[in-house]
Amino acid sequence: MRRSVQVCLAAAVMLLVGTAFLFAAGQQEAVVDVEPFDPDREYTISIGGYGELEDAYRAVAETDEFQERFPNITLEFETADFDGHHERLTTVIAAGEATNHIEALEIAYIAQFVAGGGLYDLAAEPFNGLEAGEDIVDYAMANATTVDGELLAMPVDIAPAVLFYREDLVTDSGVSVQEMQNISDWDEFLDIAERVTRDTTGDGEIDQYALPTAAEVADVPLSGGAGGWFGPDGDPLEPREKFIGALELVRDIREAGVDADLGAWSEPWIQSFADGTVAMTANGAWFGGALRTWIAADVEDWRVARLPEPASIGGTFLSIPEQVPDDKVMAAWKVIEFLTTNPEAQLTTFETIDAFPALATVYDDPIMQEPVDYYGGQQVREIFAEIALEHPELDVTEFDAEIDGIWGTAVTGVIEGDLTVEEAYEQALQEILAVM
Amino acid sequence: MKLYKFHQQRMAPYLFLAPFLILFVVFGLYPIAYSIFMSFFDWRMSGMQEFVGLENYTRLFEIDPFFPRSIYNTVVLLIFGSMLQHVFAIPLAITLNQSWLKGRGFFKAAYFLPYITSAVAITLVFNMVFAHSATGPPTGWINYALENWFNIPRVRWLSYPPAMHATLSIMLNWQFIGWNVVIYLAGLQSIPTQLYEAARIDGASLMQQHLRITLPLLLPVIFFATTLSIIGGMQLFDQPFILFDGYGGRGGAGNAGLTAAYYLMVQAFGGIGRFGRASAIAWTLFVFIILLTVLNKYVNKRLEER
Repeated sequence: MRRSVQVCLAAAVMLLVGTAFLFAAGQQEAVVDVEPFDPDREYTISIGGYGELEDAYRAVAETDEFQERFPNITLEFETADFDGHHERLTTVIAAGEATNHIEALEIAYIAQFVAGGGLYDLAAEPFNGLEAGEDIVDYAMANATTVDGELLAMPVDIAPAVLFYREDLVTDSGVSVQEMQNISDWDEFLDIAERVTRDTTGDGEIDQYALPTAAEVADVPLSGGAGGWFGPDGDPLEPREKFIGALELVRDIREAGVDADLGAWSEPWIQSFADGTVAMTANGAWFGGALRTWIAADVEDWRVARLPEPASIGGTFLSIPEQVPDDKVMAAWKVIEFLTTNPEAQLTTFETIDAFPALATVYDDPIMQEPVDYYGGQQVREIFAEIALEHPELDVTEFDAEIDGIWGTAVTGVIEGDLTVEEAYEQALQEILAVM
Repeated sequence: MKLYKFHQQRMAPYLFLAPFLILFVVFGLYPIAYSIFMSFFDWRMSGMQEFVGLENYTRLFEIDPFFPRSIYNTVVLLIFGSMLQHVFAIPLAITLNQSWLKGRGFFKAAYFLPYITSAVAITLVFNMVFAHSATGPPTGWINYALENWFNIPRVRWLSYPPAMHATLSIMLNWQFIGWNVVIYLAGLQSIPTQLYEAARIDGASLMQQHLRITLPLLLPVIFFATTLSIIGGMQLFDQPFILFDGYGGRGGAGNAGLTAAYYLMVQAFGGIGRFGRASAIAWTLFVFIILLTVLNKYVNKRLEER
């Protein structure tokens, strides 16, 4: 055998041995054997997050209560854009690399980790997260709990879905504020949408639409689409009527011509909230912060009403990856516990970045009853809290993220008129069954 | 001492090569070997779940409805997005190679500019240009022009599958024609001018000169450039990913923007981290690229022999 061939063979064997060694290491069961929290030791805990979360948690870390309870904990942050943060987290967990001690997860990403693993089960000893989170709204806890009872993360903020509307535009269209505040079903919603959509200048062209896009209400009848994709028997897209109803709703909205068909976050979509092109929009509570601060900061007529069904669009959770060194895990948990279950921390987060508290006990705080100037003095926080407490609890499964993507394509097909409701449902069902 | 010196001389080349080889083995060869291994397992974010043999490969053709769609989209875009570029690039390069043309440097830079522009920026601009709204005034520039200047109904450029393919193809042609023009210009400049002088003396027309001299002598360059286009086209990801809402969008309406590389990424990062299935897609894609490159080589060889 030629020497070069021998060298190649040796290299191949070494590669395979190395690979096998890594596989063996990867196969080892993660042992939850963490060191207890030592109040006399200095800890530096890093938090990986996105958007404005860093601002909120920095503010919490500067509160007197945090300083008094955890003088030995210093917080560090690694902040990225929304997609970049979650992509990095997926990559580092898959590669078994070091992560931050605490990693934030948006609600849509929880499902990825249900089967994938990589996060500590916070329901287990020594965390006892279910007991710690007993005052957190039930649906948010359910969103982070697998059907096997594992708690993958603690909810820190939630986003009850509401109907934002322009009072001046809807009343000019002959819809009273009382009607807006008492929409009880989707037929009423559609009726109001049709009245609001009109030609305001008399040039024969419609220039005021009820909604920016039909797609934004697609997940509302599904309680927001974070979980709940399987029926009681474990079959996807059951009960069928619920999903057919959601598709019929978007079809009816498009056929009624009440949406402006503007792509979410496109320039015309952003402008439409300030220039009067749209009079209503369904979104999570957090969207109010965007409206107030930059999208429509000068518009004084945005108000909030309830949608026909309780739903949520968004929400943040805090998790501890399994790669975190054992001696830091409990310190990370202490920080998470404080951020998610301490009323002052929750209110500080809310005041800093408008992230609505997940902790239900703060809903009795006077700040929750305060009128909000931007909404003409409306007590909108009470509405958010009501929805949070009524929101149904949904089972989360490992397939949710994939199903959500497939369902989104079906919704687009119906909105664009390429698929009937039945065709879209059947197509989505077959695709879901194929990828599972 | 002599033996030591002999060994030193023999080892020296390997030592010089070592930095590259070590990096190549660690960051190139090892991940490649690792991904082959992964492709035979149900491999999730937390690692290997179970050995599944060839199931990750067979399901691509037997069960998975998205993979055939992604291959169809990839092939359509390869033809109209990647290969069509050469139909435009060769005449453009020939024109730019003419000594009588004023401002050749400017045109070369202008054609090359899209290539060095960020794919993200280009895609965002194209998103505005091709935007569509079913109701209200047209939001995209193209639809505005069609409706207001030519009285043509607006087109769903970003939500009607054939139009989605057209949008992506236009974008790819615009972005990469300049790159191919530069490659062909380099090839054209290596063709001896005496051949054209002789052809002119023999009475050959301009078209005959290019058909009988330029194209045959440019064949090796055409093979090189089309091979690069095949590889790039089969790995197309950035543009459709940004244009059609990333992982959640799955290529937009009817998955018409879902290319094979895009689907690979959806499998790995868009759901529960199915790295085994993603690896199987990567290797299947690799085989397709090899087959297409061999086919390209065969066609070029046949043309050279004529």
